[in-house]
Amino acid sequence: MSTKNEVGKRSARERMQEERAREEAAARKKRQLAVIVTTLVVIAAAVVIGIVVQNGRSSSYSAATDAPGGTVGNTRLLIPVGGTAAPSTVTIYEDPRCPACEQFETAMKTTINQLLAQGKIQIQYHIASFIDRHDSGKGSKNAANALACAQNVGRFHDYHDVLYANQPQETDDAWADRSILISLAKQVPGLDSPSFEACVNNNTYGSWVTAVQSDFDKSGYNSTPTVLLNGTPAYPTYNSKDISPANFTTWVDNANKGKPLATMPSASAEALASPTAHNNPPASGAASAGHS
Amino acid sequence: MAAWIGTAVRIGLAIVWAWAGLAKISDPQAAAQAVRVYRILPETLVKPFGYGLPFLELAVALLLLVGLGTRIAAIVSGLLLLVYIASIASVWARGISIDCGCFGGGGAVAASQTQYWQEILRDCGFLLLSGWLILRPKTRLSLDGWLAA
Repeated sequence: MSTKNEVGKRSARERMQEERAREEAAARKKRQLAVIVTTLVVIAAAVVIGIVVQNGRSSSYSAATDAPGGTVGNTRLLIPVGGTAAPSTVTIYEDPRCPACEQFETAMKTTINQLLAQGKIQIQYHIASFIDRHDSGKGSKNAANALACAQNVGRFHDYHDVLYANQPQETDDAWADRSILISLAKQVPGLDSPSFEACVNNNTYGSWVTAVQSDFDKSGYNSTPTVLLNGTPAYPTYNSKDISPANFTTWVDNANKGKPLATMPSASAEALASPTAHNNPPASGAASAGHS
Repeated sequence: MAAWIGTAVRIGLAIVWAWAGLAKISDPQAAAQAVRVYRILPETLVKPFGYGLPFLELAVALLLLVGLGTRIAAIVSGLLLLVYIASIASVWARGISIDCGCFGGGGAVAASQTQYWQEILRDCGFLLLSGWLILRPKTRLSLDGWLAA
């Protein structure tokens, strides 16, 4: 009798211990599952929130309201210069802070302005601004916006030439300071005005600048300057010949054979043809003195 | 002792991922371009990846920092690194010249400025750290440990 009782007690205790162990194991499993679920939720939530937030932060661009005046193309991202009837089209992707663009401009500006004046070419500029990405700078974007402000009042090309003539070192983000861009604008007769300064300071064409860069990102071209002559890359070489003022002129003339040239207003043509002047009609002597 | 080494590995990896993630969130457009230049994903997936990956990295950093779900976080970390190493190797093999954009930046660079060897070796080092945590996820000063106590 007593032995039976003993056996019954022991087995009851064992059963209780087993029960407790089972419960603990179940609780541990539950906790582990909770940790796994929490971990996965944290990861999924972060990704979803991230995509939504970054989508919201990417500026929306509307060609109808956000592009500067006189821009062309499907979504008005291009700045045209020169007579639209000119037989050859030169497409130029440039970043205001890009040193290779400055070298291209310094070497080719006079030739290009002469070709423009002769009605042989029209230019379509894409003003990129990706150099800011490398050091979270602001100079390219500020300068691109200022160029858009100049485009809006018909002074893009003159201001473009002034900016390249005064470009800071690539590592120096001098144009993060917008007042420098405004003081450079004083070298372009008729550009500086309270509304121009407000346009520069308020980053009025910021979403356009972003849209132009986004378009460049997707273009497949990956460096500036990218120069196309009638769609064929012309920098640094064209049909495996190096670009130079003489070569470029020859390429354009060959491409234009048998095609009528565009006519330009004589005053603009005269100004363009002069190697020292910017391509706007000469304004007051005082304003245009002091730079060449 | 091993548990303390695990803690150091965990915090170290957390710092790496936090740095990598934070560097990519200030400019969404640049982050998208960093993905685009690998020429692996179709255009429709470029933005979701460019926008989402930095936050995935930050989530991994956060989980590793507090030591919650350490093994899962380490597995995600390892998988991410494998994808990154494979992507860089693929770009290298195809002769494309880019900055990996691993810690911000990214985009095309001159062929002479690519650093594929260094980038892949660095990621392999991080992969080893992730492997350690996958094998030994129990570390000191972790939420996992605190919850299990």
